[in-house]
Amino acid sequence: MIEQGQTTAIELSVNGHRHRLRLEARRSLLDALRIDLGLTGTKQVCNMGNCGSCTVLIDDQPVYSCLTLAIECVDKQIRTIEGLNENGTLHPLQQAFIEHDALQCGFCTPGQVMAACGLLARNPHPSEAEVVEGMSGNLCRCGAYRGIVQAVLAVSAEG
Amino acid sequence: MPKLIKSEINVEGRITEEYAVVDGDELAAWGENEELAIVGQPAPRIDGAAKTTGEARFSYDVQLPGMLYAKVLRSPHPNARVLRVDASRAEQLPGVVVVLTHETAPDIKVREGKLPLLPEDARFAGELVAAVAATDPDIAADALALIEVEYETLPFITDFTLALEGSAPKVRPNGNVVSQPSVTERGDLKAGLAVADVRVELTVRTPTAVHNALETHGCVAAWEGDQLTMYESSQHVYGVRTFAAKKLGLPVSKVRAIGTYMGGGFGAKFPGQPYSMVAATLAKRSRRPVHLMYDREGENLESGYRGASVQHVKLGAKRDGSLTAIELDGLTECGSYANWVVSLGGPYAMMYTCPNVKLTTTGVHTNIGPFQAFRAPGFVEGMVGLEQGMDLLAEKLGMDPLELRRRNLAKLDQSEDKPFSSFPVEECYRRGAEAIGWNKRKPTNDQSRSSERLRRGTGMASQIWWGGGGPPAYAEVQLNGDGTATVLTGAQDLGTGARTIFAQVAAEELGLELGSVGVTIGDTYAGPFGPASGGSVTTGSMTPAVRSAANDLRVQLCSIVAQLEDVPEEELEVRGGTVYRRDTPVSSVKSIMRKLGDVMLIGKGSRGPNPSDVSVVTSGAQFAEVEVDTVTGRVRVIKIVAAHDSGRIVNPQTFTSQIQGGIIQGLGLALTEQRVIDHRAGQILNPNLEWYKLPTVADIPEIVNLLIDIPDTKANSLGSKGAGEPGIIPTAAAIANAVANALGVRIFELPITPARVLEALETIA
Amino acid sequence: MKNFTHIDAQSIEHTIPLLDYYARPLAGGTDLIPLMREGVWQPDRLVNLKPLADLHFLREAGDGLHIGALTTLDELDRSPLVRERYQALAEAAHSAASPQLRNMATLGGNLLQQVRCWYYRGPFNCWMKGGDHCPARSGENEHHAVFDQSPCVAVYPSDPPAALITLDASIRIVGPDGARSVKVADFLAPPDELHRVMHGLGLNELITEIVVPHTTARSLYLKAMDRAVWAYALVSVAVAGEVANGTITNPRIVLGAVANVPVRLGAVEALIDGQLLTDELIKEAGTMATHGMEPLAHNHYKLPLARNLVRQALRDLTGQRM
Repeated sequence: MIEQGQTTAIELSVNGHRHRLRLEARRSLLDALRIDLGLTGTKQVCNMGNCGSCTVLIDDQPVYSCLTLAIECVDKQIRTIEGLNENGTLHPLQQAFIEHDALQCGFCTPGQVMAACGLLARNPHPSEAEVVEGMSGNLCRCGAYRGIVQAVLAVSAEG
Repeated sequence: MPKLIKSEINVEGRITEEYAVVDGDELAAWGENEELAIVGQPAPRIDGAAKTTGEARFSYDVQLPGMLYAKVLRSPHPNARVLRVDASRAEQLPGVVVVLTHETAPDIKVREGKLPLLPEDARFAGELVAAVAATDPDIAADALALIEVEYETLPFITDFTLALEGSAPKVRPNGNVVSQPSVTERGDLKAGLAVADVRVELTVRTPTAVHNALETHGCVAAWEGDQLTMYESSQHVYGVRTFAAKKLGLPVSKVRAIGTYMGGGFGAKFPGQPYSMVAATLAKRSRRPVHLMYDREGENLESGYRGASVQHVKLGAKRDGSLTAIELDGLTECGSYANWVVSLGGPYAMMYTCPNVKLTTTGVHTNIGPFQAFRAPGFVEGMVGLEQGMDLLAEKLGMDPLELRRRNLAKLDQSEDKPFSSFPVEECYRRGAEAIGWNKRKPTNDQSRSSERLRRGTGMASQIWWGGGGPPAYAEVQLNGDGTATVLTGAQDLGTGARTIFAQVAAEELGLELGSVGVTIGDTYAGPFGPASGGSVTTGSMTPAVRSAANDLRVQLCSIVAQLEDVPEEELEVRGGTVYRRDTPVSSVKSIMRKLGDVMLIGKGSRGPNPSDVSVVTSGAQFAEVEVDTVTGRVRVIKIVAAHDSGRIVNPQTFTSQIQGGIIQGLGLALTEQRVIDHRAGQILNPNLEWYKLPTVADIPEIVNLLIDIPDTKANSLGSKGAGEPGIIPTAAAIANAVANALGVRIFELPITPARVLEALETIA
Repeated sequence: MKNFTHIDAQSIEHTIPLLDYYARPLAGGTDLIPLMREGVWQPDRLVNLKPLADLHFLREAGDGLHIGALTTLDELDRSPLVRERYQALAEAAHSAASPQLRNMATLGGNLLQQVRCWYYRGPFNCWMKGGDHCPARSGENEHHAVFDQSPCVAVYPSDPPAALITLDASIRIVGPDGARSVKVADFLAPPDELHRVMHGLGLNELITEIVVPHTTARSLYLKAMDRAVWAYALVSVAVAGEVANGTITNPRIVLGAVANVPVRLGAVEALIDGQLLTDELIKEAGTMATHGMEPLAHNHYKLPLARNLVRQALRDLTGQRM
């Protein structure tokens, strides 16, 4: 139990690294990642579960980190955009997003890439309709959608 | 020798004449058949890795040691006087460092250059009343709840269609008309209507559309002594510098503005909005960096929108289709503050030949936050009116709508009586019509009797806009000791691909590989002045400056090589990173620069003047195919064919993305996006992404982007023009025409929602 | 978001005494967290139900399908069992929200979703929030009810419950006095003066499971939205029945997004029960579906939409093409 207004010490596993934090119960996973851990790749856009820019994987499932309480993520594997190219080379999805120009301003891109990552983890060879379906929880205001679908299909075809 | 010139500056249709200083003569334009190795080739954007890895640092992401997080308190009332603010409880909350209210705010004038930073008169629900900087954003939010404000609520009006009635409360002391109505007139409208064989009259309504860039407005402000650094999500970093320096009484040399990456602007992120001064003040008072980024609600309440419009339109034509008269009487919603009014009349004045024209746009104040330019402001809305009028006229004439447009296409810029530098709309029509299968289009009137559940329709609309850019715009290109080059300019990349095309132009002109050119932009301490990225000017303004700088550098390099290798300079050229004497390699640029050690060659360039004898515009057309589900009323766009002239296409890949982006925003305006206001309460009901519905990936049609790619050699030394706005201009109009074609009944109000489709179908059932 | 005390549930028995007006159960959080961010709800304590593994199951028993309250919408959507035998439920789950939200949102929570009315969620002290009138009734009510069931004109927003009603599902509830079972159709009820929510869950009760009786009926769910995906229904319809030779026997037809609660169309069911579904009868059924609807100023379109969807659903269920 965490009392109102108190903080508690927790350990989060992000991209395979363990982090010790002291947080209030109300801290969202998104704020914990960005503010407390300095992992600003995951973006804050609506903070209400309406856009998808804060998408991360929790135990391989894409979820909105803005609606997730950080303290409820203890003992879970959190994967963020920073975890995709940790060995220094771009993840195939990152490469494909670049090749297919699946981005413009880039603000929704980390969320898109993570949603795609979750989609392919579950369904390595989706049809175009399944890609559209799987990516439909991520808004892009610049309108890079065509490239996004093509990029995900391209990675699916390679893998 | 530098030259002083006067040049027309056009930002989003706001034209002013300003001085510019240019260096010597503009380079001769690359010809139509110029053999170019890098310019004109698709190239993945050079910041792709930064963006796909999450490493690109946007203003929102800036974290500095000791940084505080700021949040703002907004007026809940659409019109109110702030009588008393008691922030004492907020100030006592542990973690709160500074609270700013109208009583403690500095004397900085912001809106319209004259209104206080935190005004006592809150003219819209969402107006800034107070701000808090605290060690944590959650604490800042807690503090806001502890600020007590006493308001005197006042009468308000939020419906712009009613704001000009005599009984409407005055939003501003001078009333609810913004300055005065703008009127464009030529010929004799009455006479033109009188001689027409056929006339149509229509009233078209377009909704309030919110930019909703995914990165909200805001900045991080940090002082070091008397020097201020502003990390601002802006479309004009140099403008941020000028604004901050002016408002804070600082020399411009003491202000550094940084906008390396920004999460979308679409016209709403020009400098001059209050938040940056609030952040700078909080940072000054706390002596700590301050992060002030709006939340989504604030973005919707305060940060701008495309004002709704009502357009009463009359068109007259002779039996052969030639237009004799165009009349527009338009209203546009401007909100509580405005320095200018969009031009609804622009497309009506420019697209087609017509001798008798009267176009009136009246901007209307309401108790809603101020509008901001939104991607081709006025032209998107205006095209929706004009092009539906043209379709109605074609129906009445029994003429193919495309043929009617062909017959009327403008032959010159009628406002200035000047020829266009380039206006290949016929070509856009021809190729677009072929790609959509225009000759298979069914006549509109046949479709109202259809019993099919899914009904298809095809429509089109034309496009005209400026986008040629102009001076002043400056760039430097440095050649480094390892043979790589760096382009430096204070321009910015909004996600357009500007960074990438600067590298392409520099590499082309220098004769280097694309991979050996880096680009540093979006920082006033790193590069010379770059213009605001608005009005689709960045390509047309900046690429000639970059080319000119690269040319200056190449000349220097050849001169150095001539001295180093004792060869005649005029016989040297650089290709693919190697210096050749005629066709014999002399040395690689890399080894030359290695020899020179720490020597740095620096090329400087500027954008030359615009031609005075021609009018530079972008133009084109889009064709839409839609399918309307008569059961659910939903319109699905199946295909959009886009054909736009933006002169020489520097990078077909990023160009196509720009056009697609415009189309998708146009599709949103046509089908799903609209602000909803409760006018009784003066409250916006959907300041969020739940009920303000952006198109999703599942709403996107097949998009065929035809590359017209005709260098506009009169426009500038690249022959390139902008692509940011052209793509959005005809989309909503083309979709509206396609829906009318599918249903046999026209819906004159956007967005064309299932509700409107079902109601329209009921009227013909 | 206001601070709160966070308690991990240890067991259902441990949880019940913790719950009251100030202490709310938290499952997927996809509705509760936004409600708290908006300040609509400001509970002092949240009891996290996710540790209760015994509320997280999906299995078929002799009497039908048992769905633990913590089962996510995504799990329903992807379950071959649900897809094959309880199509309307799978389709309704699939049509809701976005993939990420379906990964998070639970069926128990979905049943309890608060109205999405922009007055309720916005800066208005509306009747549902304890105020004295409903601003939507004479305001911007494009997305609101066409049946007048209470002072509030918001529509019940969730998709799966309409399907659950056509499938005659029940909810098992545990409270301080033990367990009880209630039909979904009875669980969802228009609010009244003293009870301003659209469901019958007590403040100290928990939904533990949803039971869908075994059925051989065919079923489906149609949902009209104003964009292709990720929107609340403008109108939806769930239909179930035994289909043979162009007839539907024992039909159950439920409309969503037309009232405070999903609306069962008993008269239409009686009209078509066992009858050959001719084009004429289908048309009549659609027309009858709108009987009793009283549109507000901005939602007239819901009448033709409901009419069309009912007709389409009957055609789709019997495999007729339009």
